[in-house]
This record gives sequence, structure tokens and C-alpha cells, in this order.
Amino acid sequence: MAEFDETNRKITIKLVYYGPAMSGKTTNLMRLHDILAPDLKGEIMTLETQNDRTLFFDLLPLGFHTPSGWLVKLKLYTVPGQVVHDATRKAVLSRADGVVFVADSQHSQGINNSEAFQNLEENAGRVGLDFDTLPLVVQFNKRDLPNILTEDEIRERWSAAPWPLVFASALVGEGVKESFVKLLEAVYPVLDKYCALGVTHGMDMPAFVNAVVGD
Amino acid sequence: MEQQGRYDSELGLRDLLSGIAAGKLEAALTALLGQPLRLVTTQGEPVLGAAAAFAAGASRVAVSHDLEIIAFLETPAEDAVRLDAAVSLLELFLQAGARYYMAARMHVEVVHADFEALQHKHALLQESEARYKLLAAHLEERVQEQVKTIDAAQRQLYQAEKMASVGQLAAGVAHEINNPIGFIRSNLGTAQSYVQKLGKMAGMIKSQTPAQLESAWQDADLDFILEDFAALLEESVAGADRVTRIVADLKGFSNVDQAEEKVVNLNDNIRSVCNVAATQLQDRAELLLELGELPLLRCMSGQLNQVFLNLLLNAAQAMTTPGQIHIQTALANAQIRICIADTGKGIPAAILSRIFDPFYTTHDVGQGTGLGLTVSRDVVVAHGGRIEVESRVGVGTTFTIYLPVNPTA
Repeated sequence: MAEFDETNRKITIKLVYYGPAMSGKTTNLMRLHDILAPDLKGEIMTLETQNDRTLFFDLLPLGFHTPSGWLVKLKLYTVPGQVVHDATRKAVLSRADGVVFVADSQHSQGINNSEAFQNLEENAGRVGLDFDTLPLVVQFNKRDLPNILTEDEIRERWSAAPWPLVFASALVGEGVKESFVKLLEAVYPVLDKYCALGVTHGMDMPAFVNAVVGD
Repeated sequence: MEQQGRYDSELGLRDLLSGIAAGKLEAALTALLGQPLRLVTTQGEPVLGAAAAFAAGASRVAVSHDLEIIAFLETPAEDAVRLDAAVSLLELFLQAGARYYMAARMHVEVVHADFEALQHKHALLQESEARYKLLAAHLEERVQEQVKTIDAAQRQLYQAEKMASVGQLAAGVAHEINNPIGFIRSNLGTAQSYVQKLGKMAGMIKSQTPAQLESAWQDADLDFILEDFAALLEESVAGADRVTRIVADLKGFSNVDQAEEKVVNLNDNIRSVCNVAATQLQDRAELLLELGELPLLRCMSGQLNQVFLNLLLNAAQAMTTPGQIHIQTALANAQIRICIADTGKGIPAAILSRIFDPFYTTHDVGQGTGLGLTVSRDVVVAHGGRIEVESRVGVGTTFTIYLPVNPTA
């Protein structure tokens, strides 16, 4: 749950990019760093990588000030996708306010996607998150590659799922911002209920989203 | 965990600079700015450089970390370019410090989580080890229970098989007895009619003339009757003797379960067994007895009868065409030796070593329990003796029983 610091007038929100290995989580973060223009934008902190594979996590901090003078910080994390790093994945996922699940659209990745999604559901339970109410966006990445599932196939498979579905090509920047905005829209109602963003801080949902993306 | 801070919790200025040699950093920054400096927290607490504040008019520049101002750099230096460079340098150090802290704390969290998972697994293993120890402790007991159960089942099976063979014997004996009883009954009927005729003749003798008597004698064919009457009685006596003998043999058999020892001549037992089994042998095998002089033996007579019958019936069953069963008895080295040899099909070498095993049988299901030879051997061993087998496929099988004359067991 978001950290609500009355003394320093600060709200810290944690958002996590989850998904199978090599699905493009870090690339999403790098594109967001390029595209977004909030008041405050930090550098991407990359922690412990080996052959371009994330070992611990990547972190992109974003922030803005509300009309009420509070600082809202958003910390965007990625998890390491490889199966072996499950303990790290669990630690990164703890206290998350929202998750973007980055799936790989290629035909060959179906099993990896579903195993990673199942792992997300299990780990959410283990770290005390209610998976049924956790704000979640599902992104199908790598739309620029050949040998991918068609949008219709994916829509059909996910037709019973309640989460927004976004098609993306993080490498060229498509769908990255859309996924992020969809997540902000899913997170906002929870935050508003918890921190009274609208009433106390003068931020309705469009204002909140605009402040983060910098439009 | 909590007091040490999580990897994603906020870090203070002192934490972030804790890995850096303060003196060297201050010296480098002083050289860069060309003036002394001090770094203070947002609350005004000095962390690096001069303890006392500079005179009014000194520069005061914000140092940011994680989107927020975390400290102020104070110095009399005024060169904006140098001030920017000093702040950038400090911010890079803070970022590097944060990176180290987060990685280190994440490492601790992950190790801790892995350790907890390991301890959980260890606890589960210990639990299962305890279960196995308990199981092992009771294993001996349970094996003995099982052995008892199997033993009881084995006995029941053998009892059932014995009942079946007793039934077969009874059928054979009934047939055997039926024949003499049949002709004895018929003879007695005929004898009654003869007596009537003789009675009539007796009446005539008192009232009739010799000529009339002569003619009546002829009419009644009394010459034949006198002759036949004698033959008929003789036959009936022989038949009754046969029944008596069969009944005597059966009696010898009926005390199979008597655990009483008797002193017997085993040759008598063998003869009696041969008589009992005769019906089942008659079409299959010719019995040749070659019984030598034997001393009296104190033994479980009924049980040995059972052994001889088992071997005899096995021998008969081994015949594919009518053959011979040769029974020899002899005394040698204070041992009674009983050989039962047949000219049957023989037992293949591969299964010869298994024929005494419990439940091993070559008969079809329902034809035998595979206990006959097992029990036979047990009986012989109980008498302090042993049983041996020799067999050649197509030639025949010989079972040899050795019984000590004075068993010590």
C-alpha cells in the first residue's frame, strides 16, 4: 500500500513491471523514462545485471507536486523474470500498489507467459496482496516480431479476464505509455479512497494522470 | 529486518555517505571549489566539512536525491560552474550509495527469505524423519503380525486341501465298499429264496413218498441250490472281509490329526496307504512294493500316512501314460529309508529347487494349494528326518525319505 507520510507531506506509490524473462520489462521502463515528462524525473537505477538480464531490479522514480503542496513519488520497479530469482521477485512485489504484467507475444512463449502469470498470482498471495483487487494491466509486448499470436487470438484467450489488455512494442515505444496510463487509472480509485487525492489534494483522475505523464 | 530498513525504504544522508572516506571527499571538493565547504541536512545538521556555519552571504545550494532535496552545500565560493560541478559530484556519490544500499538490503532480504524457506523444509524433513523412526520401531512388530496372519491363512488353505482330498478318498472308498455290499445284499436275497425252497422240501419229507420227494427235489433243483448256497456264503464272507479291511485302513487314516505318538511298523502304514489310494491309482499306475525288514518306530503315525499318501498321489498325477510306482523300504545306518519312485514325466531342473516352497504349484488353479510337499517335508523334519528328490524329465521322479530309528529331536 502507498506510503502516506503526513510529516513530510509525501505520498510514495510503488508500481511493478512483472512478467517472464526477456519479455521487455526493463525496455518498458527505459521508454517511459524517454517519453514521460513529469515535474520530477530521476535516472533509471539498474541494479546488478549480468548479460543484460536483471538480477535484482530496475528502478525509475517519477514525481510531482499536488496543488495542496504534497509531493507524490512514483517508484517503478521491474522484477527479474528468470524462474530462479523467485525470492527477489517476491521482495520486489511486496507492498506494490499496481502491476503491469508484460507478456511476450511470440508463439513460443505461451507456457512461459502462463507460468509467470501464475507465479504473480501465487507471490501476490504470499506477500499479502489481494490479487482480486490488485490494480493490474496486461501488456502483450513484442508486436513488432514475426511468429506472434494475433490480437484476436490473444483477446479470445483473455476474454474472461477482468484486466485491461494492451498491445505494445516497447522497443519502438508503442503501447508503453498506454499501458502505464491504464495502470494509473486503475490505481487512482484505490489511492483516492486511501489518501483522498480528489477532495484534499485537488487531483481528480485526469489531473493525476496528466501530472505523472507530463502532458 | 524492520530496524535495518527494507531495500525500498527511504535512506538518510548519513546512510548514503557512510561508505565514503569523509576527509578525502572534503579535500577533493575543497580543491574543486577553491574554498572550504560544509554539507548540512535539511534540518541544518552538519554532516561533512566545517562544523560552524559560514558568515552571512556564503553560497547555499540544494543537493537532491530521489526527487527530493536531501542536503545543502554551504561555501564561501561563488563560482556557479564550480558549485554545479560540486553538487553533481555529490549527487552521483549519493546515487552510488543508494544503489549499494538497495542491492545489499535486497540481498539480505532474499537470503533471509531463502533461509526461512530452508528452515521450513528442514522442519518438514525432521517431521518425516520422526515418522519413519516410529515406523521402523514398530516394523518388527508388524512383520510378526503379518507372519502370524500368513501362517494362519496357510494352515486354513492346507486344511481346505486336506478336506478336499479326504472327500476324494471318501468317494473312492464308497465305491470300493459299494461293490462287495452290493453282491452281499444280492446273495442274501437269493439265500432267502433258497431257504424258502428248503423249507417247502422239509414239509414234503414229512408227508410224501420217496418218488414224489425225488421228483420235487428235481423240480426245485436242490442239487444246484446246495452247491450255490455254499459258494454264495463263501463269496459273502470274502466280501465282508474286504469291507472290514477297508474300514480298518480308513481307521488308520482317520487319526491323522491325533497328536499322539504310536509305535508302528511303517510297512503296515504303507500297505494301508496303498489300499486307501488304490482306487485313484488303478488306471494310472501299477504299484510294486518291495518292503524290507523294518524295526518298530515311535512316530506320529497318522502324519506319516499323510506324507506317504501325498507322495503316492503326486506320483500317480505325474503319469501321462500308465506306468509304475515302486515303493521300497529298507534299514541302513540306523535310518529307515523309504523310496517312492515313479515312471512319470519328471520335474524340470529349473523348478526342482522350488517344489518344497510354500504355495508353489504346477497344478491348475483349484487343483492344489502347493502345500502338500511343504507339509510333507515339515512332517519328516519334525521326526528328525529328511526328504530328498531326484528327477529326470521323461524318466521319472524318486522321493527318498530318511527317518532315524531313534530320533533325538
